[in-house]
Amino acid sequence: MAKLESYTPTPGARAGRIVLTVLPFVMGLVCVLLSFVPVGRIFGTAVMPAFGLMAIYYWAVVRPEMFPVYAAFLVGLLSDLLSGGPIGLWAFAYVLTYIIVLTQRFLGMNAPFSVFWFGFLLAAIFAGFIGWGAASLFYGAFLPIGPIAWHLFVTVALFPLFAWIFGRIERRILPSG
Amino acid sequence: MLTLAAALLLLGRAETYVFDEARQIVTDMTAPLLEIASRPVAAARRVVELTDEYAYVFDENERLRAENARLLAWKEAALKLESKLARYEALLNVQIDPAIKYVSGRVVSDNGGPFVDTVIVNAGRAAGAKSGDGVIDTDGLVGRIVATGEKASRILLLTDLNSRIPVVVEPAHYKAVLAGDNTDWPKLEYLTSLSSVSPGDRVVTSGDGGLLPPGIPVGLVIQTSDGFLRVQTFADRDRLDFVRILKYEFPTQIDRQDPPAALLGPPVEPKPVERVKPAATIPGAPKPATPALADTAPAPAKPAKPAARVAKKPETQPAPQPQVLPPDSAPSAATMQPVPDAEEQVPPPEEDVVPGTQDTPGTE
Repeated sequence: MAKLESYTPTPGARAGRIVLTVLPFVMGLVCVLLSFVPVGRIFGTAVMPAFGLMAIYYWAVVRPEMFPVYAAFLVGLLSDLLSGGPIGLWAFAYVLTYIIVLTQRFLGMNAPFSVFWFGFLLAAIFAGFIGWGAASLFYGAFLPIGPIAWHLFVTVALFPLFAWIFGRIERRILPSG
Repeated sequence: MLTLAAALLLLGRAETYVFDEARQIVTDMTAPLLEIASRPVAAARRVVELTDEYAYVFDENERLRAENARLLAWKEAALKLESKLARYEALLNVQIDPAIKYVSGRVVSDNGGPFVDTVIVNAGRAAGAKSGDGVIDTDGLVGRIVATGEKASRILLLTDLNSRIPVVVEPAHYKAVLAGDNTDWPKLEYLTSLSSVSPGDRVVTSGDGGLLPPGIPVGLVIQTSDGFLRVQTFADRDRLDFVRILKYEFPTQIDRQDPPAALLGPPVEPKPVERVKPAATIPGAPKPATPALADTAPAPAKPAKPAARVAKKPETQPAPQPQVLPPDSAPSAATMQPVPDAEEQVPPPEEDVVPGTQDTPGTE
């Protein structure tokens, strides 16, 4: 009887496991919130990177089992709700990007970081193009390319920093496997 | 999930009430978090600005001295014009625009990505903000509120694709619509083809539509390489911090206002006879074109406030030299010119003091 009790997880352990399971998703949501904090104004610019896309790409390549497609959908939906833009725009772009990244993840899994980064560049261009196309269709006009290009540039430039943070969290907190 | 997202995108085109409500609920829920997160950002920005200020303190001091000298001259001109304007408003029985109440708030979120130019401000319905209110900062118009929650509101910036603001281009007063297109410089649309707007002209709100008060500074006209007339806004969207939400109401819904404070003074006993004395006491002056009404009409029981108060002014100033026109030189609209200051102290036309002939502010 005592042996059986030792194998039963305590409520705290169960809660901890749940937290660890949803941690990537929560980080994705936090990244979306962070992209609306006016950090760029410290440097006199309102351009903010797509932190949510960084989280989606990272977890889709590294731990897709902990970041399912509906997590990507919800991250995109939160971004849409907060931005005041068309509802479903980034949800659509992020889900499509997630699916594409998932099919190609074996290319970046054990590759050097430069390949991983280049993969993100392609993913960001793809997501940006989908978002730009959908937004142009939505508004019935060709939107200027400049803002999205600048947005993607900042996103790709800051990706190594966030990939490093995600990597630290993954190695320290999440169970290996 | 992909289908669901596409369906949301299509349904969102209809701008349904459900989506708007969901958006506002999420905005209200996240606004406190964004506000907390934005505070260290504001502090960090202040540190950066202070560093910049210290680096350029001598240059800035020189610039401010020169600007101060220039502004002192402007101040004299402004005071003169203010008093002139106040007198004209009273003489012409202008309905004075009411003072605009406002609510201040801090911008707690950045603009919403590459396709949308909106920000969230931490003042909502609880503070009195409502959809459609104009938003200004210290430099000029920022945008208008498009959605309000209990604690937070969303501001559509002038540069957003969906922003349309009725404006006038000074000094010729050409009307136009300022249309955002997600670039840094919104376009001027619906300008008449014969208008002679040129780069450098000032753009202010026209007040058409009644949502925004007229005369709020918007920006300066610039001409881009593609030939479009665009506007460089005074408000810098990259540096938005504290903003004011204008609780403006269209003037027709508001009771008539008292005359400007410049004209307020101690109550004056009605002495209509005294008011025609100056013209009559000038030796050799020709007889006025129209006889003074005070000579023929009965003395008013209760003179109108503006006229009485303007008439009171000469008591504290040098005696005016009334200008009397010969009978055949009645002024027309085409020949009317601004008169020198000495001539502005002429008592108002006698028609203004005839009771019951004019709707005078403050007499109802």
